Amino acid sequence: MTSSRLPTFLSGVTLLLLAAPFIGLVAVTSWRGFGFADGDGGAIAVSLCYSLLALVLIVALGTPLAWCLARYRVRGLWLIDALLLLALLTPPLAMGLLLASMYGPYGAAGSVLERAGLVLTNSAPAFVMAQFYSALPYYVIAARAAFEGVPRELEQIALTLGHSPWRSFVRVSLPMARLGLAAAVALAWVRALGEFGAVLIVAYYPQGIPVKLWVNLQNVGLDAVYPLLWVFFLVAMPLPLMLGLAARHI
Amino acid sequence: MRVDYRIDHPIALHAAFDVEGFTVLLGASGEGKSLLLRAIAGLTPAQGEPFGGMPPQHRAVGYLPQGYALFPHLNAWQNVAFALRGAQRRTQAMQLLERVHMAAFAERYPSTLSGGQQQRVALARAMARRPQLLLLDEPTSALDPVTRDDVVAELIGEVHEFGIPTLAVSHDPHLAAVADQLVLMHERRIIQIGSPGSVYADPVNGAAARLLGHRNVHRGRIEHADGAWQLAWPEGGVVFPIDGRASAEADVDWTIDPEEIRLVDAACASPHALRASVEVRHVSGRTSHLGLRCGQGRLWASMPAGAPVPSSVAIQLPVEMIRWWGREA
Repeated sequence: MTSSRLPTFLSGVTLLLLAAPFIGLVAVTSWRGFGFADGDGGAIAVSLCYSLLALVLIVALGTPLAWCLARYRVRGLWLIDALLLLALLTPPLAMGLLLASMYGPYGAAGSVLERAGLVLTNSAPAFVMAQFYSALPYYVIAARAAFEGVPRELEQIALTLGHSPWRSFVRVSLPMARLGLAAAVALAWVRALGEFGAVLIVAYYPQGIPVKLWVNLQNVGLDAVYPLLWVFFLVAMPLPLMLGLAARHI
Repeated sequence: MRVDYRIDHPIALHAAFDVEGFTVLLGASGEGKSLLLRAIAGLTPAQGEPFGGMPPQHRAVGYLPQGYALFPHLNAWQNVAFALRGAQRRTQAMQLLERVHMAAFAERYPSTLSGGQQQRVALARAMARRPQLLLLDEPTSALDPVTRDDVVAELIGEVHEFGIPTLAVSHDPHLAAVADQLVLMHERRIIQIGSPGSVYADPVNGAAARLLGHRNVHRGRIEHADGAWQLAWPEGGVVFPIDGRASAEADVDWTIDPEEIRLVDAACASPHALRASVEVRHVSGRTSHLGLRCGQGRLWASMPAGAPVPSSVAIQLPVEMIRWWGREA
């Protein structure tokens, strides 16, 4: 084997490793008895709707932060970096516990919010919050890298051509960072949608697909897991795929 | 248009001069020329006029940075239309592209255009903003040397046609030579202002002569020794008698026109001739420029391209043609 073929061969092996569990899924799925457990439909709706909501919040709050981190050299930047890393590092289950201790009924923020009518335990807002916390750092880090790839000079040229900083952001920074931003949104989407640990702790109800997979496994068995898993792939895939395609064709 | 700007950070700089027609601010790298343009465009903190204190988007300047900074995600006409608004923006952009002879390239993306073509698109884009002042940062730096003169001629023609005062900063003496007005900057100060003809004919000091691309500008010292005045050139290890032309000892920059230097055969040279060796021969048109090594220094001599060069060379240097300027401590 020549040295130029080695990377190709290794790539093939890597792809095969990546595909192996899904090849297994095709094999173990009971296609004849393919059916859904009670509540699977509701879980799909919960996952889709609340993940979208979480994604909107992540993009709305994470984008300005990512842009600022890419553009401004402030003192103590390492502290912000450390905070992002901390949020990334925290195991999902532990993140759920931390959220519960802060936003739960006895938590510092939770008790105040509950008085204001916002219950952040076993509720739709709690579900969205758990997803928000698990996916936000991924989005911020990826979006920051995307903005860092936009030459500052081009944003400044837009200013000298009479555009306000906001229009310069919309017409130069966003389109030029679009590939990286699309990847960031896709990453946030799959992280939010697939989140299990944190959601399990703070929002066992309403049940989204990941928690429902676990519940199905506990209550029914593996045969009730695979159909829901297929649906999960079906609903999770289109958004990142379309984002990637759209960003390349703008 | 009068430009008067003071910058404190990252370097301290003060520059005040008039921009008339195509004005070139000539200075070495690191003088802060680009910073001055950015200050006028409002992209770096500074105090001064015109446009003092205004945010960049409200300053009527057309700023072409080094490399032109066209938007890579937009094609040529979209780049030009970037500063335009309304339904007619495409038509207006096409008109501007026609003025810089780039209408045929309207659909092309910047990465597929040559340096000169990008410059013309950037010029059209800057003009779309209806500026009162054009700022060009090193406009010749990204140009192909073969086509540079044509591109510069075209650029200056277009700038004159637009009729907007233009300030180009550069370290390129070729660009300085075609300016309407020349401003020289050395050690962050303006040292000379005038037409290229007057400035080239009479540089104010050695630094100015170097900036203008004069060859043979060297450091020396005027000394009084053995009852006579002489100019010592330490690098070359020689002294030139300059009796009657000096009256005080001083560190100087001295120069001699390359065309005044004569090459003779070392074998039959007079005792005052300088021993030298030919380092490099640079032919341009009908003239040869010879780089001659004299001790640790180098002198340039110009001669007709076909003229024979002796195998062992000595230099006869007409001392009366040497010119010098006192050097500040």
